[in-house]
Amino acid sequence: MRRNQGCNPIEHVMARRQFLAGSAAGAVGLGVLATPTQAVHLKHQQKRILQIFLQGGVSQLESWDPKPGTVHGGPFQAIPTSVPGIHISELLPHIAQRMHLLSIVRSINIKINDHELGRQFMEKGRRVGEFPYVGAVASKYLARPDSELPGYIHISSRGLTDAAGGAAFLGAKHGQLKLEGVKPPSNLEVPTGLEATVDAGRDQLRLQFNRRFGERRSKALTEAYDASFQQAAKLMSRKAIFDGTASKKDLERYGTHDFGRYCLLARTLLENDATCVKVTHHGYDSHAENFNFHLEQLGEFDKPFCMLLDDLKDRGLLESTLIVIHSEFGRTPKINVRYGRDHWGTAWSIAIGGCGIQPGAVIGKTNDTGTEVTEREVDAGHLFHTYLQAVGLDSSTDHDLSGRSIPMGDPAAQPIKELLA
Amino acid sequence: MNLRNFWTMCTALAVLVTGTNVWADAPLHVRIDAAVGVGEMEYDSLAADDVDDATFVRRIYLDLAGTIPNTEQVREFLVAESSTKRAELIDQLLASPHHARRMQYLFDTMLMERRPDKHIGADEWHDYLRKSFKENKPWNQLVNEMLISDGTDEETRPAAKFLLDRELKIDAMTRDLGRIFLGRDLQCAQCHDHPNIDDYLQSHYYGLSAFLNRSYLFTDPKSKKVSIGEKADGTVKFTSVFTDESAETFPRMLALPPIEDPPKAEEPYKVKPEKNVRSVPVYSRRLQLAAAMTDPVNVAFRRNIANRLWAMMMGRGIVEPVDMSHGGNLPSNPELLDLLANELVEHDYDMRFLLRELALTRTYQRSSQHREGGEQPSDDLFAVALLKPLSPEQLAWSMMHATGVSDQMLEELEAKHVESDAENGPAQILDPFWREEALHDAIKADVETFVSLFGSAGIQVSNFDASANQALFLRNGAVLQGWLEPSGRKLTARLKILEASPLVDEFYFSVFSRPPTAEEVQQVTQYIQENKDDRDSAIGQLVWAALSSAEFRFNH
Repeated sequence: MRRNQGCNPIEHVMARRQFLAGSAAGAVGLGVLATPTQAVHLKHQQKRILQIFLQGGVSQLESWDPKPGTVHGGPFQAIPTSVPGIHISELLPHIAQRMHLLSIVRSINIKINDHELGRQFMEKGRRVGEFPYVGAVASKYLARPDSELPGYIHISSRGLTDAAGGAAFLGAKHGQLKLEGVKPPSNLEVPTGLEATVDAGRDQLRLQFNRRFGERRSKALTEAYDASFQQAAKLMSRKAIFDGTASKKDLERYGTHDFGRYCLLARTLLENDATCVKVTHHGYDSHAENFNFHLEQLGEFDKPFCMLLDDLKDRGLLESTLIVIHSEFGRTPKINVRYGRDHWGTAWSIAIGGCGIQPGAVIGKTNDTGTEVTEREVDAGHLFHTYLQAVGLDSSTDHDLSGRSIPMGDPAAQPIKELLA
Repeated sequence: MNLRNFWTMCTALAVLVTGTNVWADAPLHVRIDAAVGVGEMEYDSLAADDVDDATFVRRIYLDLAGTIPNTEQVREFLVAESSTKRAELIDQLLASPHHARRMQYLFDTMLMERRPDKHIGADEWHDYLRKSFKENKPWNQLVNEMLISDGTDEETRPAAKFLLDRELKIDAMTRDLGRIFLGRDLQCAQCHDHPNIDDYLQSHYYGLSAFLNRSYLFTDPKSKKVSIGEKADGTVKFTSVFTDESAETFPRMLALPPIEDPPKAEEPYKVKPEKNVRSVPVYSRRLQLAAAMTDPVNVAFRRNIANRLWAMMMGRGIVEPVDMSHGGNLPSNPELLDLLANELVEHDYDMRFLLRELALTRTYQRSSQHREGGEQPSDDLFAVALLKPLSPEQLAWSMMHATGVSDQMLEELEAKHVESDAENGPAQILDPFWREEALHDAIKADVETFVSLFGSAGIQVSNFDASANQALFLRNGAVLQGWLEPSGRKLTARLKILEASPLVDEFYFSVFSRPPTAEEVQQVTQYIQENKDDRDSAIGQLVWAALSSAEFRFNH
């Protein structure tokens, strides 16, 4: 275990700064001391994140890092892809044709074999402590103030509890708006019998009350409160997004099963100015019958995801949308007596592409039997930095907060530079 | 000049002339006011006016009783002529069952931070807290009970929730002991000493964890009940990531001397560790924790609770965030913090005493509006009353009060109780504690709905934020819509049978706990007049808009 897990931020960072300021050349000290606002780091173009979470732990051997014919390889073959030299599992034939749009990190070692802890680490880039998820960070720094949708939307069929919607200290408005599948958010409909003009009238009354109350008072709190009503109104006016209807052609391409519909909804949301959309595909925890499970699950995942990828590309959104496909960990190389694979945080993979990412690359390596990382070991801290850097955020700077000074990414980790475009 | 002002002047004068506060026997609230703003040139020119009676009554009800007052309570207070009526109301509220409930909610949130229940059920824990606040249990005693209980005795088991529900996970425990009881987040010192700030040392972190490093969770094989067992050995070693220096520590409270283990006894156990046996050592490190924590030499302990009670009343800590006390984040007014902390100890950690004195200060009783033509002073000056967002519990209770839902519910509960117990019922329903508990139980599910939507689990931050989900719930949710249905004794039903002028009056008293201004009377009357074709609906919209307004959302 690393000694410095969960090291909190504030004093730590101050300390590092003063070290540098005191010991290193002035220029270095100055660079670290300066805390320009994040806005400055952002290019003007709107950036987005699409996160696909394969819940339960997808097997790296049946997906991004196949080892056919080896002791732990399992029954599936590796197939060539659109990038010469990169082979992935035959369970992902559609992705194989689009490999030139994505990259693979094959050398992840998070040293965690627990669903919850692994999921948290992958989301927060910190092993312990209350830090915002990557989606909440995106919402805070990438979403335009006049964005039509909440900054962080999560489409999932089952509940996984995320404290404060993953927002931690960034505040509820950056927490995830959780959608139960393609069902619209709760309370999106005006109460029955309330006509639109009456509804607008009562909102005018509310604002009238607020104007009077706002006199000679600090605006920060009251404005934050009012902003939540404005955001609610936007969601209501865009409720057609959530009506779940899809064209016949789209359904033919994406499929009519749940994950296909989730991907379609994700497309609509991203087209409509959502900043981070997370889609969870459940059911990869294959302690038994790993191969049948993956055949079925990845069969469901592969095509709709690729349709979404194609559509984002066709719409010109791919270069401004970071795409990450990840789990909370991988699966053991060793096949157990029930033909299953168990939890494995030691040597596994993710796929990543789009905004800010060098496509068609493979980062890191595992040994021939997949039991350990042999090259370029990284953990979720490095990945977190990489995600943020890819969308143009300087992950080594502090969060924009009053009273607390907290670095966005773990100061002990760095981005995977060679993966950044 | 009233007595309060007289004392304030005298104290201020004494400070001015002698440089020290010779009026040590002045009431605490007077000395607090004298300490606020000291040395701040612009304080006097920025300090807001005294708050008016109506705003005061809403504010103090929310802070001490956890809900807005009803119309009669406001009207009664406004017409009362006693010159000490504010102090009388403060005393009345502090003795009420609502105060015990308010403190139960607050301290549950502070201690457990809305984490899911693990080993101790919510009900028994809440009962324990409420009972403690009802009898005004001193803070040091409450903490003592929470840290000593091992969960085996049914009587004291609920107090073990702080430790048991954190499953004795050593890092989480250490961090939370530091944050919640000492006001410092030592997490960073897990890895290394702070190079620039003297007060965050790795030995502090591990000194704290050494109190608990021998304790473990024990599951009784028969009852499956989880309690705390402890071993007689085990040491705490740590290494700095900066220097690779290693050290070992006995239990110790921050910079205080370590508490060395006694010489090892021949038989170190009262109950020896065996399979399915909860071991009990002769010398328990864990049992040293409560004493070391509450020892008067541990100044951080008293400052922490004084700061938290101040924040509860004033909307912001003197140290802010309240769990971030360290050399780089000093109290905005150290003398004030020490005054509060020391007086609390002088009064045997009597929290009700401190809350009362805080409520009596001019600082508390200032308007939340800054001066005409002036600017908004910085929050840490406490020159203007800060807006305090209602907690989820305050919001739920207040909305049910304002809409008349709770009155109606209580009436039904009373009738039912009298019917089921003709002999004792009629007397019992007059008991404020019976009434509070009956109502609480009846509205519990609704309160929980608000908590799940407006609350958050984990470290409680004082920053206000609001999400679209919350606004959608208020805008379109069935709960609030139901409360606006004009039926029974509900506010909308009461309003619809009133003529314009009394209607506006009743509306303002019910929702905003104050009389309307002339301009507001005119505006609302006009609104009702314009919508006279659908008057009932218009009344519903009016109440909705008021409940969703900033004036209602904040304690101001």
